[in-house]
Amino acid sequence: MKALIFDASTLINFSMNGLLDVLAKLKTIFNGKFLITEDVRYETIKRPLNIKKFELGALRIQSLLNKKIIELPDSVGIKNSQIEERSRELLRTSNRTFIAKNSYLHLIDRGESSCLALSEILTRKGIKNILAIDERTTRMLCENPENLQKLLETKLHTKVKVKKENFWEFEKFKVIRSTELVYIAYKNKLVELKNGLVLDALLYAVKYKGCSVSRNEIEEIKRL
Amino acid sequence: MEKLEEKEHILSVLKETKAAVRKEDTIKLKNLSNKTIHAASIKQDPDGIALAVMIYALSKIIERKKYTYYKEWPNFHKKYVENINKAVENLEKSDIKGFRNNINEIRSEIGKLSGKFKKYIQDVFRKAEINKASRIYEHGISIEQTAKLLGITIWELAEYAGQTGISDVNLTVTLPIKQRIKQAEDMFKT
Repeated sequence: MKALIFDASTLINFSMNGLLDVLAKLKTIFNGKFLITEDVRYETIKRPLNIKKFELGALRIQSLLNKKIIELPDSVGIKNSQIEERSRELLRTSNRTFIAKNSYLHLIDRGESSCLALSEILTRKGIKNILAIDERTTRMLCENPENLQKLLETKLHTKVKVKKENFWEFEKFKVIRSTELVYIAYKNKLVELKNGLVLDALLYAVKYKGCSVSRNEIEEIKRL
Repeated sequence: MEKLEEKEHILSVLKETKAAVRKEDTIKLKNLSNKTIHAASIKQDPDGIALAVMIYALSKIIERKKYTYYKEWPNFHKKYVENINKAVENLEKSDIKGFRNNINEIRSEIGKLSGKFKKYIQDVFRKAEINKASRIYEHGISIEQTAKLLGITIWELAEYAGQTGISDVNLTVTLPIKQRIKQAEDMFKT
C-alpha cells in the first residue's frame, strides 16, 4: 500500500486547468490511494459549492470523490479525529517557529497541517506516502526552512528569528507538485493532446494556476 | 490592534491617506496600502488588513474616473472621506471600537448603493482583497492562511498569485528538480 496526499492547492490547480481527467488516469497507474483530508475536502468541495464562480470545479472534484479516485483517510483506517489531534500539534509548532518583531508568525493553516498529520500517521502505519502541495510556504517549511527564514526577512524587511529545534518535526515530509504530476502523466502518454508543445503547455498551465514552480525549473524539466 | 505602536502606525497611515485623497494621489494611496500590508503580514492584525484593502480600493476608485460619473458617487465619496476623518479622530482618542465602526461603515455604505455602481464598487473591493492577499502570500504566509485572513477562497488566490512572479524567486526553489521528479517517479513505480 502507498498513498499520494493532495493539498487543496494541487487539487484546485488540476480542477481550474480542466485536468482532473488526467488525475483520474494517473490513479490508474498508481498502485495505491489518492487521499484528501476533511479540511481539504472543505476547501476544495464544500466551500466552493456555495460560490458560483467555482461551483463547477467543486462538483468535478466531488465527482472524483464519488468515484473513489480520491478518497478520505477512513478508507485506510485512519479516523479524522486522529488527524485533527496531530494536525493541531503540528499547526502549533509550525506557527511558533518563526518570530518577527516579537511576534510568532502564523504561517500555515488547518488544511495544510492536516496533510502533514496524515502523512505522518500513514508513515507510522508503514504506508509509504508523498504529499502533493503546490503552495510554497508548507513545502519550504519542510524542505528548506532556512530559505523560508531568508524569504520572510527579505519580504518583511525585518530580522526573523527561528526556533531551529522545531525543524526536525517537518524535515521528514516529502513533497511533489502539480508540475511533477503532469510530467509523469505526459511521460506515460496519459494526456490526450498530441503536439510537441504539450509538456510546455501543461507545465505553464499549472504554474499560472498557482503551482510554485519557477520558469527555470520548467525549462529544466523540458530538457529531461 | 493590540499595541500602541500598531495604533500609531495605523494613525499615521490614515492621516497620510486623508492627504492623498485630497490630492487624488493614487500612487501614494497604493504605497500606503502596501506599507500597511508589511505590518499586517507580521501581526496578521484584522484592522491593518481591512485598512490596507480600503485604501487600495480607494486608489482604484479614484484612478478609474468612470465611477465619479454615477449619481451616487458624490454621496458615497462624502461618506468614505467622513469615515476616514472620524477614524482618525477616534484613533487619536484611542477609541479602537469607534475606529473599527468607521472602517465597517465604509463597507456598509456599499450595501446601500444600487445598480451598476454597487456592482462596480463591490467588484473593486473584492479585487482589492485578492490583490492584498497576493501581497501577504508573497511575504511568505501560506496560501490557506492568507486566504483565511482576507476572507477569500484558495481558488481566487491561486488564480491571481499564479499570474505574479512570486514563484520565480530563487529562494523558493528548495530541491533540485531532478531529485523531485525522481521522488515522484519512485512513488509511481509499482
